[in-house]
Amino acid sequence: MGTQVKDVVIKSDAPSALLLDKHADYIAAYGSKKDDYEYTLSEYLRMSGIYWGLTVMDLMGQLTRMNQQEISDFIKSCQHDCGGISASIGHDPHVLYTLSAVQILSLYDNVNVLDVDKMVEYVRGLQQEDGSFAGDKWGEIDTRFSFCAVATLALLGRLDAINMDKAVEFVLSCMNFDGGFGCRPGSESHAGQIYCCTGFLSIAGQLHQVNADLLGWWLCERQLPSGGLNGRPEKLPDVCYSWWVLASLKIIGRIHWIDKSKLRSFILACQDEETGGFADRPGDMVDPFHTLFGVAGLSLLGEGQIKDVNPVLCMPEDVLERLGLHPDLLS
Amino acid sequence: MAETENEVEVLVQRVVKDINNAFKRNPNIDEIGLIPCPEVRYNRSPIVLVENKLGVESWCVKYLLPYVHNKLLLYRQRKQWLDREALVDITCTLLLLNPDFTTAWNVRKELLQCGALSPERDLYLGKLALTKFPKSPETWIHRRWILQQVLRECSSPGPDRKDQGDGDRHDAAEKTRLSEHLHRVLYEEMKVCADAAGRYPSNYNAWSHRIWVLQNMAPGNLQVLHDELSSMRQWVSMHVSDHSGFHYRQFLLKALVRELSQSLSSSSSPQHYHPQPSSNPSHSPHKANPLHQANGEATAAAPCPSPHSPEDLASMPALPQLFHQEVELCTDLIKSFPGHETLWCHRRHVFYLWHHWRRDHHYGQGFGSESPHLNHTDAGLSSHPHTACPGGVGLDRVQRRNGQAQEGQDAMEVDGVGVPDPRDTKRLKRGPPGPCPPALPSEHSFIASVLDSCRSPEQGRFALAYRKWLDSVIGQ
Repeated sequence: MGTQVKDVVIKSDAPSALLLDKHADYIAAYGSKKDDYEYTLSEYLRMSGIYWGLTVMDLMGQLTRMNQQEISDFIKSCQHDCGGISASIGHDPHVLYTLSAVQILSLYDNVNVLDVDKMVEYVRGLQQEDGSFAGDKWGEIDTRFSFCAVATLALLGRLDAINMDKAVEFVLSCMNFDGGFGCRPGSESHAGQIYCCTGFLSIAGQLHQVNADLLGWWLCERQLPSGGLNGRPEKLPDVCYSWWVLASLKIIGRIHWIDKSKLRSFILACQDEETGGFADRPGDMVDPFHTLFGVAGLSLLGEGQIKDVNPVLCMPEDVLERLGLHPDLLS
Repeated sequence: MAETENEVEVLVQRVVKDINNAFKRNPNIDEIGLIPCPEVRYNRSPIVLVENKLGVESWCVKYLLPYVHNKLLLYRQRKQWLDREALVDITCTLLLLNPDFTTAWNVRKELLQCGALSPERDLYLGKLALTKFPKSPETWIHRRWILQQVLRECSSPGPDRKDQGDGDRHDAAEKTRLSEHLHRVLYEEMKVCADAAGRYPSNYNAWSHRIWVLQNMAPGNLQVLHDELSSMRQWVSMHVSDHSGFHYRQFLLKALVRELSQSLSSSSSPQHYHPQPSSNPSHSPHKANPLHQANGEATAAAPCPSPHSPEDLASMPALPQLFHQEVELCTDLIKSFPGHETLWCHRRHVFYLWHHWRRDHHYGQGFGSESPHLNHTDAGLSSHPHTACPGGVGLDRVQRRNGQAQEGQDAMEVDGVGVPDPRDTKRLKRGPPGPCPPALPSEHSFIASVLDSCRSPEQGRFALAYRKWLDSVIGQ
């Protein structure tokens, strides 16, 4: 008697060709109905939503279809007196949206519409005595925020603003016996946190502290029979893990441990042929988040029609080239 | 049908009031939900209260949410004033509909800071939100902030003494009251986490919150750690795919190992309470002060005081026994529920903890079971038919915690006796209490027996992966 392993079954009529034009149309039209109830529900993360949309458009060579001026003005009005950026106008500032804002403006080479010094001060002020980073003034600690902090500063060329040694010490204290990382010391390993921590260590120049074989093994165990990747044992596959897991593997130099063609098939099956966009798994509703990570995952797999994506910052390589940023990768 | 702005405003204000009146009428509301009801009905309230369940008819939500959402933002941008009561009502409505709206929780933090809200109220609101949105990251994050306020309150200096003479008694009574209060808060958190874990499989946010609570509200508290380990046994047995649930047990074991090991090392002075190495995130407002607890007084700083008194230690099962029980649980579940990756991951983790504890504490020093000739290829040696763990001298020595078990341990390893064969469970239970903690040969033996008897390809795959893991990670 066999157990059914948690996985999806890809139907034979699932999409198998890459539908880039449909995805570009989907993103370009997203949010044009601004009174939509769904849109209001997600306003609390709007800055990240814009980053997802713009980045995937840039990867597809379609960035010009988006309204640069409107977006720059919007971002400017999201910077608060403390220097931090909020997800949308009137919302409270947070390091998550500070990073998203800097990523967006980096795409446009327009970071200076913001008060950069104040922003750097804001990020610096979030670092705690033990090296960890709070997300905002209210003090929640999470390794995601360590990543957001250093990624923001790296894009601004201001990594010297924080205590990097302490920051590294904290992230390493979140390393678990399986080689993975959780949100805080003692927390369960999770692919999303692993992406943040390996990305952090890359920027900090400390990738040698990772046990690449052990972590690589844990990461490639995320691949399921369908070809898709999950984030933890016995979870269903999700296209966003094609990013978190794959990028982590790329960073630690073990991307060849994954069955690339099976993963590619899974990602393509997550497309919606009618509406464009990608869903978390085949047949579900699409959204910009999964659309970015589906396309970015395909880029890491070597898809010719898509620009090269940087596995640490999830931004087009040519943008980072312009900034002179080359975060470490293990070979 | 187009609604005028005024109609919407009237409707929404009424709904917000209805929701908040419902709470006033029934302070025992324990669940919220959306009632599928697409037909607009202006004349009836869309708020339904049945027993302790609060329902919102779905038709009104698309008017309700944008309206209260925008109203709060106008306030935040100082374009429209809202008094405290209005803020409380509006944020309550908003968060029941969209608990990931961070800014709304922040408004409530500010209300709490100026005394317009109590921590209990937000713990209650969060608990309700979690009945519908058990993963909601922002709800858990807000909860941790509230709990930090509670911790801060409980450790700040007591109220002014009116009568100097009664000062000491007053202080001691106050400390006990605070300690009991924290204890209640702690157990309430365990309950909220358990409920949320039940509502969504492998709920990372619920379980990582649970860990945070123990790390910050009961650091190093042996009793709590042990109680949690016991009480979670049944839950994980009914949720064998829940990786987060099993990780929680790994966390508890690791914490117990840390605490019991320290007690071992300070066994010469049992009255001393040594501060633990910081596995707790030091953003916690409290660092446990090393204080003698011989006089039984709770320390002011440690929220749930964790004295390692000799009585406590004596009542705790020894580490080998804890590990034996955990492996036994894992074995039972692996055999009853073939093909669950979570169970095999758990085994890896437990074995790893045990292996390292043994090594670090020179338990069974120099035993040769990990020398090359006793790896899995020597199946003949390690697959001796298992008898129950020998009673008598060998076992007694294994049970002792101070590392004098060497001789007994060696005997066990060489004989290939480690985890007892489950078929001998009955015999074992009748025998003397015998922890037979895992060892490499017995693990390889276990793998072999699973491979022999399993009919599930996944089970076979996981067993082989475990073997590979043992060889690569442990058997170096």
